[in-house]
Amino acid sequence: MKSTGDQMGAEAFAQQGFHIPLTREFLTVLLTTSALIVLCRLFAPSSIAYGTLAGSLPFAAILIIVGLGQMLVVQQGGFDLSVAGGVSLAVVISTHVPAGDSANLLPAVLLAVCCAAGAGILNGVLVGFVRLNAIVATIGMNALIYGGVFAVSGGIPRTTTALLAAIAGGDTWGIGNSVYFAIAILLVVTLVLKKTVVGRRFEAIGANPRAARAVGLRVRLHQMMAYVYAQLLYCIAGLLLAGITSQPTAFQGDSLLLPSVAVVVLGGTSLTGGRGFPVSTAIAAFFLNQLSQFALAVGVPYSAQTIIQALALGFGIAVYSFR
Amino acid sequence: MRFSSIKRHTALTTAAVMLSLAGSAVHAETPSWCGPKKATIAFLDGFGGNSWRLITTASAKEEAQKCPSITDYQYADGQGNTQKAISDIKSMAAKGTDALVVFGDAGPAVLPALTSVFKAGKVVVPYRVEVGGEAGKNYTQFIGASFKNDGVNWGNWIKSILPNGGNLLFLSGPAGNSQGKDELEGLKSVLGPEYKFINPAPFDVTNWDPALTQQVLTAEIAKNPKIDVIVSDFGPSLVGALPLFKKSGRSIPALATSDGNILGCFWTENNKDNPDFKLFTVATGNDNARLAVQWAVAKATGGETPKEEIFKAPNFENSVSGKPHPVECRKDLPGDIYLSAEMSPEDQTKAINK
Repeated sequence: MKSTGDQMGAEAFAQQGFHIPLTREFLTVLLTTSALIVLCRLFAPSSIAYGTLAGSLPFAAILIIVGLGQMLVVQQGGFDLSVAGGVSLAVVISTHVPAGDSANLLPAVLLAVCCAAGAGILNGVLVGFVRLNAIVATIGMNALIYGGVFAVSGGIPRTTTALLAAIAGGDTWGIGNSVYFAIAILLVVTLVLKKTVVGRRFEAIGANPRAARAVGLRVRLHQMMAYVYAQLLYCIAGLLLAGITSQPTAFQGDSLLLPSVAVVVLGGTSLTGGRGFPVSTAIAAFFLNQLSQFALAVGVPYSAQTIIQALALGFGIAVYSFR
Repeated sequence: MRFSSIKRHTALTTAAVMLSLAGSAVHAETPSWCGPKKATIAFLDGFGGNSWRLITTASAKEEAQKCPSITDYQYADGQGNTQKAISDIKSMAAKGTDALVVFGDAGPAVLPALTSVFKAGKVVVPYRVEVGGEAGKNYTQFIGASFKNDGVNWGNWIKSILPNGGNLLFLSGPAGNSQGKDELEGLKSVLGPEYKFINPAPFDVTNWDPALTQQVLTAEIAKNPKIDVIVSDFGPSLVGALPLFKKSGRSIPALATSDGNILGCFWTENNKDNPDFKLFTVATGNDNARLAVQWAVAKATGGETPKEEIFKAPNFENSVSGKPHPVECRKDLPGDIYLSAEMSPEDQTKAINK
């Protein structure tokens, strides 16, 4: 009975899968980004020069990974405000535990992954099973994770190990390695979400948990797992960030919370849950990153830079509202 | 425990204490700012969460311990929370501490607390961050840091390496921070119009965040084909960003900034491949706290107050002249220590590994 239900659920949503590249959301974000590139070319050509892209794409890559994590949670109608803590924890574990000795990097990375999984499971249980409000639960979890950040680091930054700097901050064919990580993760998330049974069920549950339950899907388990996947992605982002910045602060994740939600919204994923648009989310991350490079390259004062970014974000969201 | 055994223990302990006191008295001569009156002192930090603060705190403690009249040293961390900082000040005073050295990160918000404690008869020495008010009325003495002086020192060095002017890029912390403004004033007092600031006025905002610094520098490098000198008030945060020059096929330019072990080591490793990479640093200023402690101790114990009221960070490294120091790197120690500080590098390492 249960397996039939699962099949029905999967079939019901299977049709949509083949239209992903041509969805309206995808086209919108693609057009907006193209328009931005044209603007960059006209007004700030230096912002799309090779040197700029080589320097800024690693940060776009981080935002892509964090954005994908947030997207998975938003797909389940949730919100994950523990982004900052998750990223910061991975940063401090990967820098403080090895304390400069590359030989200890692997255990540190494994520890970071375990902590991320633990935080994700706790988040997931609180939201999926105890039915706490996602915002409340994840804010609490963020405070808890920050407790861990302080326990590990005492709030002090540490210099990255040479090995991590080479892996995450290094280049291959002139492009930062973190970009390849982001592309690989994007591929995995897209394929799993769109082409596997687990992924199809995950989307079906996000779109309509009650219907999904009626057809026999394990709604709570999938909702919980969304938070686990998200934390694992934040962890990867944190590890990469620690490698890219040679002396990361203990609060390096703080500036990622708002952008992580912004790219999900710009990417077209509904905040009420349902289908996810990983490729659009990734393009939106590139868009946000490029936008700040544009503002910097134009050379306007800091206040104007902030305003330009806010306006563009407002415009991006308005495009969805008025279509 | 029998009475005789207690007596024996007491005698032993007393002997040990006497010996150690005698020992320390022989080793350290009492500084002039240390008076005869017994007193207790507290060091109140507004935000203790980075390696610079930990080393500064340890330096303050080391300084206070030079004075045998100080019978107790306390520390409290405001954790970046203004309310906690205020309650720390009040509770330290309520506990009967005689002298308070306060890193007033919250600025004028802590002034009422300082004033009330001062009026209750305590020695109050705020330092480094302006809290408003005036000495003798709201607190005993304010020990400022002269960021303008840093700007002047940088400016003089820039003139020495680029006598005919050039393009300068100035990076500071959060938008509108007064440290950056003061430094710019110092720079401009020395440098004429032939030195062009190519950043948006007054400075490029980095929030002293290494990730943002990297993004800002990326944009500036691409935009400006000619950058002669980078001026930054937080040198270590540049280390992740400087390799960007290599990506663009350019030499790292000259750098006028504040010191840090990670930066010295970066220069040592990269100066050969980057012909334009000259380095000049001023001391990061951990020893600012020492001057504040000296003042507080002098006032509380009846010692002689120091002559300086403002801490002027001395020049530290100069890769061109080697004076006052050539660039220093201790590869065996963490990148997050400051070789310019009076505290020994090994003790600093201990302080941040606590």
